Amino acid sequence: MITSEEVTKYIQNIPPAPSVVRQALNYARAGDLPKAAKCASEDPALRHYLKILVNRPLYGFKNEVSDVNQIFSILGLSATVQTLYNYLLSLLTPKKWELFALTDHQFYDLQASLSKRWEKILIHLNIDDKEIHSTISLIPATIIVCEALFASHKADVIQLRSVKALDFNTILKRLSGRDLFDLAGEIARTWEMNDKSITLIQAASGLQSTLTPTEKQLAQWIHLLLFYELSQGAYVSAGLNEFIDFQIDFVADIYESFMQVME
Amino acid sequence: MRAVIKGRIGIFHLQGFLDGNNAPSFLTIDDIKATEALNIDMLLVSLKKVIFFNKNGLDTFVRLLTNIRIQKHIVVGFCDYDHTKFKAINSFYGNELSFSLFKSEKIAELFVSSNKNESKTVLLYNTDQSQRSAMAIELFDYGHNPIIAQSLSEFEEKKKNLDLYYAIIEDTYLGYFGQKVATRVTGNAIIYTVSNFLDAEIGNTFNIAYHNNSLNVGFRLFIFDAYKVVSMNVHALNFFTKLSSAAAEYNATICFVGLTFEKTPQAFKNDLEDAGMLFFDTMDEILKNKELLSDLGGGGGATAKQHRSLTKTLVNELSHFIEATVSTIAMMTNAQATKSSVKIQTLTVADSTDQVASSIGFYGDIDGLIILVFPRTIAKKACELLIGDTNVTDEDILDSLAEFVNIIGGRAKVLLSENKKRLDITLPRTYADVKTLLEIAQDKKGVQVDLSFEGQKFIFFLTR
Repeated sequence: MITSEEVTKYIQNIPPAPSVVRQALNYARAGDLPKAAKCASEDPALRHYLKILVNRPLYGFKNEVSDVNQIFSILGLSATVQTLYNYLLSLLTPKKWELFALTDHQFYDLQASLSKRWEKILIHLNIDDKEIHSTISLIPATIIVCEALFASHKADVIQLRSVKALDFNTILKRLSGRDLFDLAGEIARTWEMNDKSITLIQAASGLQSTLTPTEKQLAQWIHLLLFYELSQGAYVSAGLNEFIDFQIDFVADIYESFMQVME
Repeated sequence: MRAVIKGRIGIFHLQGFLDGNNAPSFLTIDDIKATEALNIDMLLVSLKKVIFFNKNGLDTFVRLLTNIRIQKHIVVGFCDYDHTKFKAINSFYGNELSFSLFKSEKIAELFVSSNKNESKTVLLYNTDQSQRSAMAIELFDYGHNPIIAQSLSEFEEKKKNLDLYYAIIEDTYLGYFGQKVATRVTGNAIIYTVSNFLDAEIGNTFNIAYHNNSLNVGFRLFIFDAYKVVSMNVHALNFFTKLSSAAAEYNATICFVGLTFEKTPQAFKNDLEDAGMLFFDTMDEILKNKELLSDLGGGGGATAKQHRSLTKTLVNELSHFIEATVSTIAMMTNAQATKSSVKIQTLTVADSTDQVASSIGFYGDIDGLIILVFPRTIAKKACELLIGDTNVTDEDILDSLAEFVNIIGGRAKVLLSENKKRLDITLPRTYADVKTLLEIAQDKKGVQVDLSFEGQKFIFFLTR
């Protein structure tokens, strides 16, 4: 099925961030939102993405917001950085989803919903860190990587899963030694996210044993948030609920607090 | 979502949150149709990875399970939960529980037929005495040894000696049960337990597919444990007569043990004897008499007098079966298996030390048996994707080997369907050593293909 060579080739082919986005990210990280907005305005695709994103019902604006400057001001520093990463990730989405019965709009909804809920969680945890804030953007990268690697092996996976409850992440790990979260970490590395984010993305699999208490706590929240989202009807229908193994024991001790935050 | 099939059990593995809004999304119309078409004895929904559920969420699955139970007379329910989840389900459904609850998949497996010759000692407790008795009877009928605790304190005391028991059965509930004739394997004999008054319903409760599978994978002795049978009518008589005649084609023997003729007409016995059925007073008369056991076919396949020969149609499809095997190995290992020789002969294993084997039968437009014989190291390598952990027991390897031949059977089915040939596959059977396999297959002629994988040889054998 999937070989280590294919995985290595995939990593080598992860495109770097376009220069406009990289510049906008640098300004946003440095706290200069007007310059970041000016830079982002130069990219029509990014402009369009931001407009579509911010005008989703989830953001709750009555009137259409279309000016990038205005959008970045509304989002604030951390959410702007996060949104720019969301955009970068959207560039990796396949032309046609084959493994998962997903549409681009559903994928963007997932990104937006994860971002909003992550923000609530970080407020609850009293964490104000731009890098931790933007880490959530890379979690859906696991879905994109999974689609890219497994789409041509769909029939094999169906056959394998008819006799054993194996998720894609486990299959990939056993065949290549690396899992979907490792590869999402590679994308983060290519896009020059900091080490803290890369560690967190990888830890979100819920399978790593050598984590600091803070890393573990954040990884638990990300893992549970991901499954909270993937349990929505649309994503269940798309086949996303079963793509990775839910580590129920890993998140058991934060469940009550999580539900309080979500409610 | 599709159910994962393990032996005679199908299980839906749900994850995350389950409520009335998302539950219908787990099951498309195609999923429901595929579930209805499964040839299984038990259908379960695993709650192991469900962190939250409510009644509306469960109801979606309860509806599916209930429909399947009514249609197919199989056991349905939920499994893999902790005490809190067990209590929640009971509070949702109270006295209306029409499905079963098994604390773990391992416990559920004790209540279905398998191809394994295993009697497990289990500790059992339930506050409801009728449940306790029902479980004990079912477990006994499936060939296990239930130790029943009569009180909670006795249970807690006995529970301390964990090593004595294969499983501790608690927080378990049998819903509609006894819908199928209980089946167990002893040596090379299959024992069916029948009870009460036997009538036309035996046609529904007896698992004919399992029986045919067993014939196909080489079982030759079938015993009806009929100690608890009061009487039977002419419909049951017809059923057993037909069963006995059909078994004759495979040179198989069917016996009744413990059947009395106080309330059953003596003429029925004569009719059944004419059809080839044998009668014994006690089980030990057969099982403890090695010579008789061997004569009846329960000592292996050595006594088979007739042999079903290879057909041209079957040999013509050989390439598909080999393709299914080779492509499965490639899928599971990313390595290629190469063919070194093809011969029509009896199964010949040059060196039988440290070899394991598995077989799977198929029937439909063509019928036959695929046998694979592997060096243990190669079997482990081939199943690594399924096993994962490198630190595995022999039992893990054999279980994975069963899953492995199941995939091969599934692939062969797909390949042959492209040629408009319809196949059904049997339960896989595994052999910890090749001696038993050779007893069954030694006189069968078939196509032996020697294959090579990572420098070691393994055997593919296709026969009838």
